[in-house]
Amino acid sequence: MPLWLREHSWRQTLTAVYLSLPLRGARATAANIFCSEQYLKVSVPPFLFEAVLYAPIDDTNSTAKIGNGNILFTLYKKEPAMWDSLTLANADKEKLQHLRENAVLKAQEKAKEETKAKKITKQEHKKYALEATMKLEEAERKRIEDLKEKEREKVTKELELWKNQQKDGDKYNGIQTKEELHQEIESLKERKSEKMNKTQIPNEGSSKTRLKSTRGHGSCSIFSQDLKEEQLPAPRAAATIKVNFTPRVFPTALRESRVAEEEEWLHKQAEARRIINSDLSELEDLKEEEKNPDWLKDKGNKMFAMGDYLGAVNAYNLAVRLNNKLPMLYLNRAACHLKLRNLHKAIEDSSKALELLTPPVPDNENARVKAHVRRGTAFCQLELYTEGLQDYEAALKIDPKNKIIEKDAEKIRQLIQGAMQSS
Amino acid sequence: MSAVLGSERPQVVSHVQQALSYTVFDCKWVPRSARLMCLGSAARGTGVIQLYELRGARLEVLREIEKPKPIKCGTFGATSLQQRYLATGDFDGNLNIWNLEAPEIPVYSVKGHKEIINSIDGVGGLGIGEGAPEIVTGSRDGTVKVWDPRQNDTPVANMEPVQGESKRDCWTVAFGNAYNQEERVVCAGYDNGDIKLFDLKTMSLRWETNIKNGVCSVEFDRKDINMNKLVATSLEGKFHVFDMRTQHPTKGFASVSEKAQKSTIWQVRHLPQNRDIFMTSGGSGSLHLWKYEYPAQRSKKDSEGSEMGVAGSLSLLQNVTLSTQPISSLDWSPDKKGLCVCGAFDQTVRVLIVTKLNKI
Repeated sequence: MPLWLREHSWRQTLTAVYLSLPLRGARATAANIFCSEQYLKVSVPPFLFEAVLYAPIDDTNSTAKIGNGNILFTLYKKEPAMWDSLTLANADKEKLQHLRENAVLKAQEKAKEETKAKKITKQEHKKYALEATMKLEEAERKRIEDLKEKEREKVTKELELWKNQQKDGDKYNGIQTKEELHQEIESLKERKSEKMNKTQIPNEGSSKTRLKSTRGHGSCSIFSQDLKEEQLPAPRAAATIKVNFTPRVFPTALRESRVAEEEEWLHKQAEARRIINSDLSELEDLKEEEKNPDWLKDKGNKMFAMGDYLGAVNAYNLAVRLNNKLPMLYLNRAACHLKLRNLHKAIEDSSKALELLTPPVPDNENARVKAHVRRGTAFCQLELYTEGLQDYEAALKIDPKNKIIEKDAEKIRQLIQGAMQSS
Repeated sequence: MSAVLGSERPQVVSHVQQALSYTVFDCKWVPRSARLMCLGSAARGTGVIQLYELRGARLEVLREIEKPKPIKCGTFGATSLQQRYLATGDFDGNLNIWNLEAPEIPVYSVKGHKEIINSIDGVGGLGIGEGAPEIVTGSRDGTVKVWDPRQNDTPVANMEPVQGESKRDCWTVAFGNAYNQEERVVCAGYDNGDIKLFDLKTMSLRWETNIKNGVCSVEFDRKDINMNKLVATSLEGKFHVFDMRTQHPTKGFASVSEKAQKSTIWQVRHLPQNRDIFMTSGGSGSLHLWKYEYPAQRSKKDSEGSEMGVAGSLSLLQNVTLSTQPISSLDWSPDKKGLCVCGAFDQTVRVLIVTKLNKI
């Protein structure tokens, strides 16, 4: 139970009420004071003081001074009138409650309004700051623009000056050259006339001299022109220089080159060689060299050359088990199967080889041609001529200069046409 | 690379911009004047030559000439300063030289090539250099031909592929080494990356190399001196600067290369007033201004005792993006330092001023 503070003292003027509350030893802060229009509460544990005021006061302007062991309230009355007492005398509980609640509500509203007002002022401040920075930036930009403009104007003026100089210069030059030409012609005329006078047979008529002088005048200009032409060398003797061009696989620049794909192919090959599909249990009884796919491939090739196709197939099989990424193994095995007339297996192997021979680069051209040809042959032997022709044409595309492939393709075409006609 | 202070770097200022109603392929300053020529192709498939004058902040059209075939390239390099005739190459392989005062009939005309003339250059005129005025044209038919305006119908030199060889388009040609009356050299760049140097005095191939990507533009830093530097630009944003003073018997000329822009570098042009500064224009509509710095020693001896050149270094002075379309042609004014014109495929021609070049 809080202790009620009853020892307050107050005095009033027409407009204000001065209330003094002694705090026996306790310290108070602004948070302990709750004041609204008609209700005042001070709660400093364990003390409590509460007053329902006689008349409404202006709680925003009223002040509380805390110090010296008491609180001095200066409450400004809303209506200047003398109060009979500080508090409302006949205040029953309900009224008190009501008033208290009102007070609380009012205080809350006030708080809300205050926060709103704060927000608004904050926004305004921000806006102001933004505008200020914008102005600064504008000023900066303008300064730069002005500098540029000044440069431009300076340069334009110089240009105009130079242009006028040019014009004057041209006129001057024009006049000068005319004068020079005149002088030249005059001097030439004089020289010519001197010459003529020297060579002239004394008793020639005046008409001739006149003619001669006019010719002289005409030849003056030719004379001057000759002089000028003599300064230039004669046109060069015509000749041809033959040139060779650096060959390029692709007609345009570096960007069309297949460098990237070639790298990929090389990389793949390198990878393939490194794979060893080890199946340890069965391989234990093989000799060292028999575990090397390349050695096995060579063995297979030799057996193929000698006609031992089954043996070759075995060799290739083992090699494939060791490393199933080498296209050459499949390619050669396909050839063996062709000889053994295992046509379906031949087709399978050629297809697998072609799969492994991507990306298509000049490096693996030969291999691809072989794969296509072998698959084509297998198809034809199975009487699937159209598929066979497709493969032959693919081979021709890669290697257009191969006559054998061309001939075989022709044969197949004729076979197809024959078959179509007869059916 | 030397560091140039931010405020001291040359700035590229856009002075005038002019929208055109045709595609401009080449633009050139008329020497000794504030006039410029734009050459191109109109939408209806005819050629256009327009003559502009720079007046204040605008370009005024002085003359517009229409020709039956679209025009690809032009040069003033082979005429005298008084005559100022324009030599053009068109889409049909015709080389014509026009007197702009009377442009109806060409002063010289020859059907030089079977296909479009991609590039043209002239030497011996404009009071620069010595020797006979000559014009070189490079065409899609793989040949490079040198013409003398005084000799009709046949070229004075013809660089053509060997019989049976498949031809490669010649994309660019340039004259160089014309320091006296006899010496002259033609450099040609092809679409497979070949660069060939032909010596016209001995009528032989002096050097060739391949830079892997098609060569869009070659230029010597000066046509009228003992050949000093050659810049070759190519597709894929690379360009090479060759030091042409020392030729090694097997390795050829030393070079330094730079990859500047992601797109094709269409043109390179050296500043006429300073041969170590040049500008490259790119397919992304950007211009880069470069400076070449010579090495401490330009040549050194290799292990067998033969001389080989040492390439220097490049530093980027400035770059600017003017357009979204490639800038296909570029020309510095020979009279005013820093004034240049560029034509882009967005059908505009721009006059630019590069400032602070005196301080480099």
